[in-house]
Amino acid sequence: MAGMRTEELMMNIGPQHPSTHGVLRLVVKVDGEIITDCDPVLGYLHRGTEKLAEDLQYTQIIPYTDRLDYVGAMANNHALVNAVEKAMDLQLTDRAEYLRVINVELNRVASHLLFLGTYLLDLGAMSPFLYAFHAREKILDLFVKICGARLTYNYMRVGGVKWDAPEGWLDEVRDFVKYMREQMPMYDDLVHGNEIFHNRVIGVGKMTQEEAIAYGMSGINLRSTGFNWDVRKNKPYSIYDRFDFEVPLGQNGDCYDRYWCHVREIWESLKIVEQALDQIEPGPIMAKVPKIIRVPAGEYYAGVEAMRGELGVYIVSEGKDKPYRLKLHRPSFINLQILPKLLKGNLMANMVAILGATDIVVGEVDA
Amino acid sequence: MSEENTKKPVADPAKEEAPAPVDPRIEKATQALTLIQDKITSQFGEAAIEEAGLKQFVPTFVIKNELYAEVAEFLKTEPSLLFNYPQAMAGTDYKDYIEVYFLVHSTEKGYDVAIKARGERDNGSVPTLSGVYPYCGWEEREIYDLLGLNFRNHPDMRRILLQDEWNGHPLRKDYVVRD
Repeated sequence: MAGMRTEELMMNIGPQHPSTHGVLRLVVKVDGEIITDCDPVLGYLHRGTEKLAEDLQYTQIIPYTDRLDYVGAMANNHALVNAVEKAMDLQLTDRAEYLRVINVELNRVASHLLFLGTYLLDLGAMSPFLYAFHAREKILDLFVKICGARLTYNYMRVGGVKWDAPEGWLDEVRDFVKYMREQMPMYDDLVHGNEIFHNRVIGVGKMTQEEAIAYGMSGINLRSTGFNWDVRKNKPYSIYDRFDFEVPLGQNGDCYDRYWCHVREIWESLKIVEQALDQIEPGPIMAKVPKIIRVPAGEYYAGVEAMRGELGVYIVSEGKDKPYRLKLHRPSFINLQILPKLLKGNLMANMVAILGATDIVVGEVDA
Repeated sequence: MSEENTKKPVADPAKEEAPAPVDPRIEKATQALTLIQDKITSQFGEAAIEEAGLKQFVPTFVIKNELYAEVAEFLKTEPSLLFNYPQAMAGTDYKDYIEVYFLVHSTEKGYDVAIKARGERDNGSVPTLSGVYPYCGWEEREIYDLLGLNFRNHPDMRRILLQDEWNGHPLRKDYVVRD
C-alpha cells in the first residue's frame, strides 16, 4: 500500500443526517479514510431569538428559551429568569427554589438519558436507546403533570414558578428516583465493559485541559479533561449550596470520559433531587413581583449550569420592560467550535463518535 | 443602644461621616477593579482605558480600540491576573457605535473582568481576540454576521448563522424586518 496515491475528497454530511442530531451540516475533506479538514455550516435552525427578544417583555421571552436546547428546557427557563432576578435583586421563596431545582435536575437526567441513548445508537448499539427512552418518558410524564408540556415547559417565571406541584407529585418523583437508581446499573452494563464500545471511544477525540479552557468550553466537555468547573459549585446560584453532591470529572478528555461523566452526573442529579424532596416545605411559589417586570438600567450577566454547559444571559437594559439587548451564551455553540480541530487527522469512522460525544443540540447552536 | 447612637456623633463628629456598610461583593469587586486598572495603566498608559467602572460586581473597562487585542493578551499572560477562561462575548448596537463586550474569568485568581471596545457603525472594525482566545473565533463571526462589525486580522471573517447573500445585519437597531 505504501506510496499509493490518494486524492482529497470533499464530503458533505447533513444537514439532514441522523447522526448530526438535528440540522447541522459538516463539509469534510478526506484523504482516504483520514479527515484533513472540517467546516461546520450552521444556521439551518436560526430563528433570531436574540432579535425577537428585543421586542418582547421578559415574561414573554421565557417560551422562546424553551426552543434553544429543547431537551433541557427547564435549565433554559432558569437561565433567563435567574439573570433577570439577579439584575432586579429579587429574593425568591424557598418552595419556588426547590421546585426549580427538582425540575432542572430531573430534566438533566432526562437530557443525559437522551445522550446515552442516541450516542450509543450512533455507535451502533440499538437497545440502550430503547431503555433510555423508556425511563426518559417517565420523567416527561412528571413534567406533563406539573406544567402540561413534554418538552417546551414555559414553567418558570421571574420571581418563582408558574405551577405548584399537584397532589402526590412529589411522592411520584421520589418513586422515580428509586426506580432510576435500580435501572441505572442495567443501562450501564449494556455497554460498559463491551470491547467494541471501548475500542470506539477510549482515546478517541482527545482534547487537553488547556485547549478546552482556551476555547471557553464548559459542562461535561470541559470536565472530561479533569478540570473541576461547574457553575453550580463555582459561582453558586439558586440554592445549590444547600445540597451535597459531587462534580464527576474525567481524566483524558476523550469520548469515553464524556460518556462516563454523563452516567455519573445522572447519579449526582438523583442525589440532588432526593435531598430537595427531603427539604421542600409547603409555602408560596411566587415572590412579590411587580405586574410588569422592569430591569433597572445597566448591564448584567448571569449563567447557570445547563445540561450542556454554562448557559449565560447578558442583558443590556435601559430600565424598560423589554431588554435593549439580550445575548445568549450558548454552550452547544461554543463546544462545537473545537470540532474541526478534534476531527483533523482522525479516521472518518470516528467522526460520528466524536461529534456525538460533544453532545450538541442544534436548536442551541443556532438560536 | 439608642443612647449610644445619639452619643456617638457628639463624642466623635468624624464618625458621622463614616460611610454606610458596603455590600461585601461591591467591596471585593472594587478592589479587583483598582488592581486591574493599575496593571493596565502601568503597562499601556492612562489613555488605554476610555471608561472604567463596575457593572453589577464585574470590573468593566472600555479599552482603546487600537490596544484591545494587546490588553487582552496582557490580561491573559500577566502572572498576577491570568485571565484564561472566556465566559461570554456579545456585540451591542448603541446607535452611535457598536460595542463588543468580552467577559473573562481567571481560574487561578478567581477574578472576573469585562473588556469592551467600540467600533464605528460604518465600516468600523475592532481588533480580533481570536489569536489570544480561540474561543472568540466563532463569537466574533456571529457579531460580524448579526451586527456588521469587522474584526481586524480575524483568520476567517465569514457569516456564520445567516446565508452569505443575506442583506443587512439583523441585530442593528435600524434593521427593517420584512414580512
